[in-house]
Amino acid sequence: MKHQVVRHALQSGAFFLALGLLWEGSVRVFEIRSYLLPPLSAIVRELVSSRALLFRHLFITLEEVLLGFVLAVLGGALMAVAVFFIPIAKRTIYPLLIGLQSIPKVGLAPLIVVWFGYGVTSKVVMSFLFAFFPIVISALGGLAGTPSHLVEHFRALGAPPWITFWKLRVPSALPSFVDGCKVAMPLAVIGAVVGEFVGSNEGLGNLILLSTSSSRGSLTFAALAAVTALSLGLFAIVAGLGKWVWWRAQ
Amino acid sequence: MGVVASTVAAAAPGARFIELRRVSKTFESGDGSRTEALQALDLEVREREFVSILGPSGCGKSTLLRIIAGLMSFDGEDVVVDGESVSRPRQDVGVVFQTANLLPWRNVAANLALGVEIRGESLDSARLAAMVEMLGLTGFESRYPHELSGGMKQRVALGQALVRDPKLLLLDEPFGALDALTRDKLNIELLRIWQAEQKTVVLVTHSITEAVLLSDRVLVLSGRPGKVIEDVGIDLPRPREPRTTRQSPEFSRLVGYLGELMGVV
Repeated sequence: MKHQVVRHALQSGAFFLALGLLWEGSVRVFEIRSYLLPPLSAIVRELVSSRALLFRHLFITLEEVLLGFVLAVLGGALMAVAVFFIPIAKRTIYPLLIGLQSIPKVGLAPLIVVWFGYGVTSKVVMSFLFAFFPIVISALGGLAGTPSHLVEHFRALGAPPWITFWKLRVPSALPSFVDGCKVAMPLAVIGAVVGEFVGSNEGLGNLILLSTSSSRGSLTFAALAAVTALSLGLFAIVAGLGKWVWWRAQ
Repeated sequence: MGVVASTVAAAAPGARFIELRRVSKTFESGDGSRTEALQALDLEVREREFVSILGPSGCGKSTLLRIIAGLMSFDGEDVVVDGESVSRPRQDVGVVFQTANLLPWRNVAANLALGVEIRGESLDSARLAAMVEMLGLTGFESRYPHELSGGMKQRVALGQALVRDPKLLLLDEPFGALDALTRDKLNIELLRIWQAEQKTVVLVTHSITEAVLLSDRVLVLSGRPGKVIEDVGIDLPRPREPRTTRQSPEFSRLVGYLGELMGVV
């Protein structure tokens, strides 16, 4: 058993090592210009030498993403509860939401920057917009998917509506809600980076844009690596917190 | 009407506890077609009486139980439980359904406690321990539903109803989804629990032996629309010991008679 785990890890490791060597080798053999594709070693060197610069921009993007995501989680949960329990909201706000969701948010980005400025706010809004919808849909699905036999059971126990909500609907919606948060987390990062592309002075998206236009290929790739690491790290945190919700209502 | 007229129990049943007068129920489906589940049904259950409702599947047994539980509207005159017309579920009634309605995120102890938690009370540890002991769940208090067998889940569901100390227990084929062995075992447990607690019980079942072993009276329902076609008193002495009761000639006679009524013999 343990032997097999080690063997599988070695297989993965060997694969990625080979991929890295192939990259490094091809770039050198075919003499690809570094603003097109820098060798892997140059990117690693850049990550080390420009770490202060990368961290400064990473923290800006992190701030935007966290604010956008947290607002989306809170807003999404509240919106789902409102749409679920208030019949008029289901007929008015819900179709509006679906309509808004159908607008390509990338296309909205220039407007958002005009409305909310070059600073952090417009990126928080972008991040929020990307993350909000999957959270609302998953929370709504979770609330509506509460098993009907359990709802009847709570009725038989004479449970008042708020008890049914807190002790039954919320816990039974949580697994789906957590799934929605996991989907939304990388989307929140994309939203912030798109916002930075469209108009910003700082952040990893801004760094990617500037380094590309100044032909600093290795810095572009280093910034990309930083965005990827940020996205993966945040996803791991959300997934880790989500482990607390281990059950599935059947 | 029944072949056995008198009803003798260890503790003689008391005053009238449940009364249904000319209760009907018609379901209307989406395409406008109507199904009459119950038709002008009269029924009476006395305090501390164990009554089983026996009938073919689809005869409206479960509908009847849901109406008594206040979970379903009805047409007709009246449904009275403990002197009050039923319009919604009561706090002093415990219902156990065929599927154990346990919350997957709560362990056995917390699922049992839910029965009283909903009334804003908590289950003190002594009462919890006594209940766990009576249900034969000792050692399983902190297990979660997905770690339990079907029989154990039904024990927890029964316990959740019992911790409410209900005056009336409504059981809707509580052991219907279990294998025959587990079912027999749980029937024996139920007999023991009832003999200790002496609640008024209405049990919906399609098992004749189960009904005869447990009940003071068995009501046989006709096919849809459901009506009481026979009211059979079960004159077996109490307290009943499962083995000797099952071996008695009277037991076989009642099982045979009910089987004939239901057209299985």
